[in-house]
Amino acid sequence: MDPLEHAALSGTDEAAMAAKAEDSPLAMALLREISAALADYLETGETAVIDLKSLPMLDADRDALADLLGEGEVTATLNVAGESEVRETGYAGVWWVRHFGADRKLAAEQIEITAVPEILLAHRDDIAAAADRLAASLKTDPPEPMTTLDRDTHHV
Amino acid sequence: MSDGRTLGQLLAQRGVSRRAFLKYSSYLASLMALPPAASRAMAEGLAKAPRQSVIWLSFQECTGCTESITRAHSPTLEDLIFDFISLDYHHTLQAASGEAAEAARHEAMAANKGKYIVVVDGSVPVGAGAIYSTIAGITNQQMLEETVKDAFAVVAVGTCAAFGGIPHARPNPTNAMPIRRLVKDKPVINISGCPPIPEAMAGTLAHVLAFGNVPELDSHGRPLAFFGDSIHDRCYRRPFYDKGQFAESFDDDGARKGWCLYKLGCKGPVTYNACATLKWNGGVSFPIQSGHGCLGCSEPHFWDMGGFYKPVSAPSDEVGPLAAIAVAGGAAAGVAAGLVHRAAKVKAKAAHTTVTVDDLEKTS
Amino acid sequence: MTAVDLLALARGPLFQIALVIFAAGVTLRIVEILVIGRRPDYAEARQGAVLSGVSTMFTRSIPREGMFRRNPFVIVSGYIFHIGLFVVIFLSAPHIEVWRAITGFAWPSLPTPLVDFLTVASIAAMLVVLVNRMRDPVLRFLSTFQDYLVWAATFLAFLTGYLAVHHMLLRYEAMLAVHIISVEVLLVLFPFTKLMHTFTLFMARYYTGATFGRKGVES
Repeated sequence: MDPLEHAALSGTDEAAMAAKAEDSPLAMALLREISAALADYLETGETAVIDLKSLPMLDADRDALADLLGEGEVTATLNVAGESEVRETGYAGVWWVRHFGADRKLAAEQIEITAVPEILLAHRDDIAAAADRLAASLKTDPPEPMTTLDRDTHHV
Repeated sequence: MSDGRTLGQLLAQRGVSRRAFLKYSSYLASLMALPPAASRAMAEGLAKAPRQSVIWLSFQECTGCTESITRAHSPTLEDLIFDFISLDYHHTLQAASGEAAEAARHEAMAANKGKYIVVVDGSVPVGAGAIYSTIAGITNQQMLEETVKDAFAVVAVGTCAAFGGIPHARPNPTNAMPIRRLVKDKPVINISGCPPIPEAMAGTLAHVLAFGNVPELDSHGRPLAFFGDSIHDRCYRRPFYDKGQFAESFDDDGARKGWCLYKLGCKGPVTYNACATLKWNGGVSFPIQSGHGCLGCSEPHFWDMGGFYKPVSAPSDEVGPLAAIAVAGGAAAGVAAGLVHRAAKVKAKAAHTTVTVDDLEKTS
Repeated sequence: MTAVDLLALARGPLFQIALVIFAAGVTLRIVEILVIGRRPDYAEARQGAVLSGVSTMFTRSIPREGMFRRNPFVIVSGYIFHIGLFVVIFLSAPHIEVWRAITGFAWPSLPTPLVDFLTVASIAAMLVVLVNRMRDPVLRFLSTFQDYLVWAATFLAFLTGYLAVHHMLLRYEAMLAVHIISVEVLLVLFPFTKLMHTFTLFMARYYTGATFGRKGVES
């Protein structure tokens, strides 16, 4: 089903939506793109990424898009080379991903259309390394878990 | 220096997961406008790449380029590039000096033969036997030749290395040369700018690491991902240019309203760089946003384009007096020519005799 | 040689050379004509010559009715590209900056879309007059190489300027260099060709008007 229709049916005030569409044509255009990408995903399994940072977005456009997409059930904060934030929107399969650099400065901002954003998954190589480490630590007693603090000491 | 381990393994040892690669790649993909598939490939490529040996040569330069890349703003995400490369020689940054420094360069060259990247900032003076600039007892030209011989690729950072820059400005007393004029048998990537944008340097290096090839370049050898559009094309003041609304001075009404700075000498239309999109100081601003025209620092002839405040459409040199002299000279020549013609007319009139019917009969 | 090298050359030495040839050449030819002067007319004047001369400079800018009816399309085209030339040269913002560099004076410019529209109209009009020149048997017979040369030089200046402003075909710096060079060619041709009619037209009209005036004939 078209997500716009869905939103209308699920009780979003149609007049409010129309007002927003007038406020931010960009947000409406993005919504249509997201809708098409969702349909593609269901049909072919092809995931999509929309890079918000490369668009000439004003704060108003961002707010309008956030309002239109709504909130989902999942919010994840990652601590990887600075902070990152993954939020599910009100539409399943549509994720709002924000990567921060230093001083919580926005480094990348994307809408991902996928079952779960790849960055949340543990990479096979990391799992393999973890398995080795865990196995090794079981041989020597007591096991020493690695803390996340270690990664801050890697600097040049 | 590389020891056969991949960047993925090296960083995993420090508790940095593959997620960091994904995050870094999405960040770069956003900067370079890469498609999502390329971003994933870049993350995989980076994780599988060995740590890249980099030899940084500084010639006729001001160290501004080094300042710029070391100010890539964050000790976290943006700085990951420093984990991906092994800066084996950089005479300003390295701890070693003198012979130990030179030994480090030779060691890196031998250990990574055919694989290391040479970064050059500064132009190379070749006048007077290239003796205007020497390091460790050899000329810059010798050091470049020697170091580039076994390199995988050369990255010329900054306008001096890319196009000659300030040392190359008229009259170019040292006969300063850009790197591309001297290195013919290796790929040379130019990342121009005075200084270049740190993200452009990091992004280009990351591309070479992840994909093992040279990114797509423009006709000046610059990566299209960062130098594909002119400042003018991406300028937020462009609508004012299109409408013909120009600031006439830096403090008039137009300037206050943020109108186009074309008439005040903005070189945006002929300058290719990413300032208008990536901006400076961690995305805070860029010259035009701060109310000053683009200087055109990432272009060849940066210093010889006729002054920062001369519009691009205007002649680069002073022409007013020349035009006045030409008009005066033309006028003088016109008077002379006119007088000669008049004299000829008077002479012709004097020589004129009336022909009668009798005269005609005589001759026939 | 790169486009930027070409642009530096076009804005620098080539412009100086073209400007000197144009300014000196045009001045020389005008002054020469004035110095040679006219044959003295000893007949008593029926009325003032000056007023008639000056008014003729302008009245002859209006087409004769009969001529206009015969070929209105071509005549209107002629007007369009001449007006277009005037506006583009004197009232477009980038060109005013050139005038400022030469004379030290500047004046307000017309909005870019208007200049743009006149440029397109002028390009179309120039094509109309060319087709007319080649189709009309009399005109074709009278046309020399020079007629086509000055048409081409003027047309190229218009076309490359339009392409440069709109970033078409080549990158801006390359097209800008081509445009400036095409104008420099026009400037160099100017004193040696019929392009001189820009100035001599008005002198000729004045002489005609003045002569008629003396004779008491309406011109």
